[in-house]
Amino acid sequence: MSVSNMPALQLREYLERLPGTTFRKLYQQPSTAFAIFRRMLPHLAKTFVMRMLFMPAPMLLADLDIWVKPDAKKQKDQALFILQALHIVHISPPSREKPQEMQLTTNFKNSMRRALTGGGTHNSFGVPSTLVVPPEIDIPFLDRYARKKWEDILHFVVSSVGFKSAGEVSGPNKSVKELLIAGRLVERRPNGSIGITQTGFTFLLQEANAQVWTLLLLWLEAMETNKMAGLEAVDMLSFLFVLASMELGRAYDTNALTEQRRNMLPSLVDFGLIHVPHHKRSMFFPTRLATTLTSSGNSLRSISEGVAAATSAAFNGTSNSGGPPGHGPLKSSTELKGSVVVETNYRLYAYTSSTLQIAVLALFSKLNMRFPDMVAGRLTRASIRQAIQFGITADQIISYLAAHAHEQMHRTAALTNKPVLPPTVVDQIRLWQLENERMKTTGGFLFKDFEDQKEYLAVAQFAEEVGVLVWRNDKTGMFFASRHEQIRDLLRNRKKAE
Amino acid sequence: MPRAIRGVLIECDPSIKSIIVNIDSKNHDFIIEDLDEERVVVKENMVGELKRRLEDRLKENLPPVEESGSE
Repeated sequence: MSVSNMPALQLREYLERLPGTTFRKLYQQPSTAFAIFRRMLPHLAKTFVMRMLFMPAPMLLADLDIWVKPDAKKQKDQALFILQALHIVHISPPSREKPQEMQLTTNFKNSMRRALTGGGTHNSFGVPSTLVVPPEIDIPFLDRYARKKWEDILHFVVSSVGFKSAGEVSGPNKSVKELLIAGRLVERRPNGSIGITQTGFTFLLQEANAQVWTLLLLWLEAMETNKMAGLEAVDMLSFLFVLASMELGRAYDTNALTEQRRNMLPSLVDFGLIHVPHHKRSMFFPTRLATTLTSSGNSLRSISEGVAAATSAAFNGTSNSGGPPGHGPLKSSTELKGSVVVETNYRLYAYTSSTLQIAVLALFSKLNMRFPDMVAGRLTRASIRQAIQFGITADQIISYLAAHAHEQMHRTAALTNKPVLPPTVVDQIRLWQLENERMKTTGGFLFKDFEDQKEYLAVAQFAEEVGVLVWRNDKTGMFFASRHEQIRDLLRNRKKAE
Repeated sequence: MPRAIRGVLIECDPSIKSIIVNIDSKNHDFIIEDLDEERVVVKENMVGELKRRLEDRLKENLPPVEESGSE
């Protein structure tokens, strides 16, 4: 039984909760304005921003309709909603005397112009270090370093289930552990051990980039409640955007940072986002985890899309590795090659010695043998049931197995012209889920008590257009929507218009 | 004036739904609105508790299938 509306802490939701004054401060930094533009906006919204960027005066809201095809009204409304939620666009309130106007907010406009045209001494994209770079620190070194740090964290999250590795890994720093517990990715069980939660599972199945953001946002929230540390969330957030715009493999000057930002460095080292050489404390290197923070606009995807992405990443693992250094997400070492064999009798073999992958497999299978380079186990009703109770879905399990299938599985499948995973197993996993998934839950809002049928129909129609409608019943005049902000605004505007 | 009530929409089989209604009938502290045969809106903070009770009910009525097959 899974709640489809996960309280996943994602960047956009976090940003949308911030007040307008915070945004004004954030947008003072060209790097922040640029990163939010690149990362957070759908294509149509980007087009709007670029068209309006060098306009000298506000434009009429009605003129926007000329830019957009009539049948794309839904996309236009969504783009405008996001632009307003992120305080990029300001739209004047409706009134009888003047038509509605829209314009970019001042700070965003100025910073965006500066980011694109260059100039100014804002140092918002980091100050490179002038010192000699130690020769041993190159891109492969940084990748190994970041991967080790990140896998330590993932390990800690999964370590509670299934196999304990013999040579226990060092694990992340204590502060990171506290953070994971505070964020409820893991929880302390009554017997004192650490156990994974449903949020933790979702976290585990996200792609690396989304995982990093989840952790960083937890960190920001923890800092807000703990003002003693003297760190301000706004400044921290803009520093993260600065990091994201830095170049991989290059050393940056620690002394050029404000004291506050210098204080952030130890935590960032713990997360593996930056590397500070032991003997040269005045320089730091951003790792791939940091420089890809804003690299793709669709890193804010849902869990299922995240899995799909991880799946395709694993499939393309070998072909991608030849790409230019400094681009593309950090691949986990376990994702690079398929290693899992699934038989029609539900037996499962994985040729791996990665404790991380073994721990992930143990989440949904019953492992009963471990050899130096291989584990063996079974998919059982109970193991799948346990996974589903933790919040993993059958589709997630199936795509994980498909993505990590051993090349022998692919070869046999290609020869016999059959799917990679045995269909019986795939079907049975789905059936086991159905057995446990007795109801579907959707969080949201029930709208009722409309004045008349006309009002109901108009509002329900609107909810359907903006894509938040889940269920409607025209007879009783009620509908259920997953979000209420847009509907609330509509109802307000209708009231004003009356 | 229309109202918006925060809650969780539950969609399930009519049989499950009747169990939910039955669980609710004791104190009426779960259901916000009974929509139709297969849908109810439930208070957000009670979903976990409802699931637990539903699980208990089902356990009473249908014992879990024995695991078969060799290791």
